[in-house]
Amino acid sequence: MAGLELLSDEGYRVDGRRAGELRKVRARMGVFAQADGSAYIEQGNTKVLAVVYGPHEMRGSRSKALHDRALVNCQYSMATFSTGERKRRPHGDRKSSEMTLHLKQTFEAAILTQLYPRSQIDIYVQVLQADGGNYCASVNAATLATIDAGIPMRDYVCASSAGFIEDTPLADLNYVEEAAGGPQVALALLPKSDQIALLEMNSRLHEDHLDQVIEAAIKACKDIYTVLDQVVREHVHEVTTLLGE
Amino acid sequence: MKETPLSNCERRFLLRAIEERKRLDGRQSYDYRNVRISFGADYGCCIVELGRTKVLGQVSCELVSPKLNRATEGILFFNLELSPMASPAFEPGRQSELLVKLNRLLERCLRNSKCIDTESLCVVAGVKVWQIRVDLHLLNHDGNIIDAASIAAIVALCHFRRPDVSVQGDEVTLYTPEERDPVPLSIHHMPICVSFAFFQQGTYLLVDPSEREERVMDGLLVIAMNKHREICTIQSSGGIMLLKDQVLRCSKITGVKVAEITELIQKALENDRKVRKEGGKFGFAESIPNQKISAFKMERAPVDTNDVEEQAEEIITKADPPSEVFAKPILQTPGTAQIGEGIENSWGDLEESEREEQEEDNSDDATTSGVQKMETEEISGVSKTKKEADTIILSDSEEEVVVVLEPEETRKKTRTHTSAKQENSSSKKTFNKKRKKKRTTH
Amino acid sequence: AAQELVGRVVLPGDVLLLPSHPEADGERLPLGPGFAPPGRLVCGPGLRRCGAGLLVTKCGLLRHRQAGGAGGGSGGAYWVDSQQKRYVPVKGDHVIGIVTIKAGDIFKVDVGGSEQASLSYLAFEGATKRNRPNVQVGDLIYGQFIVANKDMEPEMVCIDSSGRANGMGVIGHDGLLFKVSLGLIRKLLAPSCEIIQELGQLYPFEIVFGMNGRIWVKAKTIQQTLIVANILEACEHMTAEQRTQAFAKLSES
Repeated sequence: MAGLELLSDEGYRVDGRRAGELRKVRARMGVFAQADGSAYIEQGNTKVLAVVYGPHEMRGSRSKALHDRALVNCQYSMATFSTGERKRRPHGDRKSSEMTLHLKQTFEAAILTQLYPRSQIDIYVQVLQADGGNYCASVNAATLATIDAGIPMRDYVCASSAGFIEDTPLADLNYVEEAAGGPQVALALLPKSDQIALLEMNSRLHEDHLDQVIEAAIKACKDIYTVLDQVVREHVHEVTTLLGE
Repeated sequence: MKETPLSNCERRFLLRAIEERKRLDGRQSYDYRNVRISFGADYGCCIVELGRTKVLGQVSCELVSPKLNRATEGILFFNLELSPMASPAFEPGRQSELLVKLNRLLERCLRNSKCIDTESLCVVAGVKVWQIRVDLHLLNHDGNIIDAASIAAIVALCHFRRPDVSVQGDEVTLYTPEERDPVPLSIHHMPICVSFAFFQQGTYLLVDPSEREERVMDGLLVIAMNKHREICTIQSSGGIMLLKDQVLRCSKITGVKVAEITELIQKALENDRKVRKEGGKFGFAESIPNQKISAFKMERAPVDTNDVEEQAEEIITKADPPSEVFAKPILQTPGTAQIGEGIENSWGDLEESEREEQEEDNSDDATTSGVQKMETEEISGVSKTKKEADTIILSDSEEEVVVVLEPEETRKKTRTHTSAKQENSSSKKTFNKKRKKKRTTH
Repeated sequence: AAQELVGRVVLPGDVLLLPSHPEADGERLPLGPGFAPPGRLVCGPGLRRCGAGLLVTKCGLLRHRQAGGAGGGSGGAYWVDSQQKRYVPVKGDHVIGIVTIKAGDIFKVDVGGSEQASLSYLAFEGATKRNRPNVQVGDLIYGQFIVANKDMEPEMVCIDSSGRANGMGVIGHDGLLFKVSLGLIRKLLAPSCEIIQELGQLYPFEIVFGMNGRIWVKAKTIQQTLIVANILEACEHMTAEQRTQAFAKLSES
């Protein structure tokens, strides 16, 4: 990857963004009829669909039911055509299982699971096109779908990635920036209380820079939150007008 | 097999103890358990003990054709196995969530941080590269698997030597260790994971949680770092809500712990190298003390340690060799033989029979005096660590490579305990112990 | 021969010979003064009958106790005192269990054996169909086995034969539970055991021993509880001298 300039002298990134700038976010809620809640999000070229079912009774073995709260069941899959090289299996490999776990963890923290003991909430996420920030886009899509399904949550969960190149923290990395192998942080935030629901970091980053990078990621999450909030408001407004209020 | 459920009572006690900044094993909140590293007879094989958590690491290599998109890079493969041998909670042959999580963490910590120069593993570009496989087996589970596994992985990689190869034209020649000395891997840095357990929604923080603490914790934060204070991986898990300041604090603590552990690893490797050069004995068999019935002799609980002066006395009394050494085999009953006195074994004994000789099968008469020596040194080794903080002790110079690390806080800890105990003794007069439910046997 | 080996280590596969009796061959009734009838021989844990002798099945120290009264030379009980961690329920044993399931009329209790024991809600002091005991999942129970054999599910009760609790029942909500080996429990419960007496001189505390290797301790403070627990755990690996030293050091400070 040598020779590729990720940050120009003028402070522009490969796709022409500034360091703290997000990619264009477009989102729709309630895209499917069958599911209890669904959403579609585009963050630049990363496209993700999320579907939520539940809370419903336990499926499969009943012994897994939790007596004091609902079980959150997630599945993260990447369409075989989502990446440059065709994927052999959409889910079940180590990376997707890990992603599934992270999603589950994020939403267990955000959903008020104790309201629905002995039941189950399913969150299915499908990545249609991967161009960096897959986890983040999945979390954002799943948040919208959960809101669409009317499941009570503590707060929105917004996720964003951040990197660190040439002493500058970059927000919302795309595929080229991720593949360059620099440090990258993925962070899921509850924006109102500034609480971090999930924090993940890869590659090497000096301890002294951690603060800056996390700060950049938090800032990006808040920006995402503004966009998501607008989408939800518009959607709710539309639905209520249709109901004739 | 089901694991024993955790009772409400234990849960409550643990949480209350954590609130009072106390831990079951007498550590402080930020203390690490003792780390012990021992090497196998082969290169690339080690056992890392973190308190009672034990992980075996083994590195192996193979010449394979490289991946298509990375023609000039060797392949690194990590696999952690949680066998049901380590804990009844692990089911055999199933990819549990925990296992996926741990394996991915290891991969990210060691592969993604590029601690190993994979390009140096290339033999013929696009045709032959080395595949390095790191297999980690959990032998005994007492919490904090990831830290022990990450130490074991990096130690095994540092210790490993691959066979030398030469390329002439299209021909690849592989040399046996006799023909050419095997070559070590080129390692850029050593990432080490440090785990933090959070309790009561992040109010309390413990370093290096034990198994019981893991069962009551709300969430876990793992930070991997190398000694240059570069963070290699961060992963939070469990349903905790973190604040940014907490993360930054944890990363500072990690820096300190990683520095300590790295130093220890380097000492251990250095010692092993020396022993091998001198042609001494090495391998696991040498590092497991042979007077023990079980390998899990308790390390003396830190709660009943007192001042350093008293400790020193104790060491002297303990380090005294047994007065008599039997040089000739003793025939106790037909069919049993004994050499040397052996160490006292207290199991099953009632008080009066405590002094009975025990038939230890030390038939290997070459070790007669060796056994005695090892015993005393082992005991003094354990108690000495308590006195001198941060010392490295080789419990038996030539025969095994064992390094015991005691975190720096020990000194402080001893002092606090003593003061607590002084309070206790003042209330001693009101002795009215209820022997509520005592029952005799047989 | 069995008697010489008492107090020694026996290994699985050893055969212990019992002293033979002259009267064993005939049907003649032995009469006359000075004759003691052969006592009944009890085979304890780790021993099996094998022809004329006893076959050892566990490794440990052979123990013997004379039968009460005018026992003959061959009477009494032999058993092997072995070091073991896994508990096997025995009728009459007092154990500490953890409630895992509340199912209708019974509780399931984990005692560390091969199977969970059942405990009826009526088996508490003063419990009736109306007045149920307050037991939650995860609570500690100190009880006694009334059914324990290899073919049936073990059953516990928390009352003695006269319907009194006698110390049994739900153990308080505080305190610490920990596990030690079965051998240590037996050693601690032996009437001659000094450890408990010595410990009791340090400060007051409550303690419950379960024969299944579980010990529950509660002292005034968390620190004291931890000290007691640590000492008891350490007892497993200390010789008598080491222990007296440790105690001396503790009571000094």
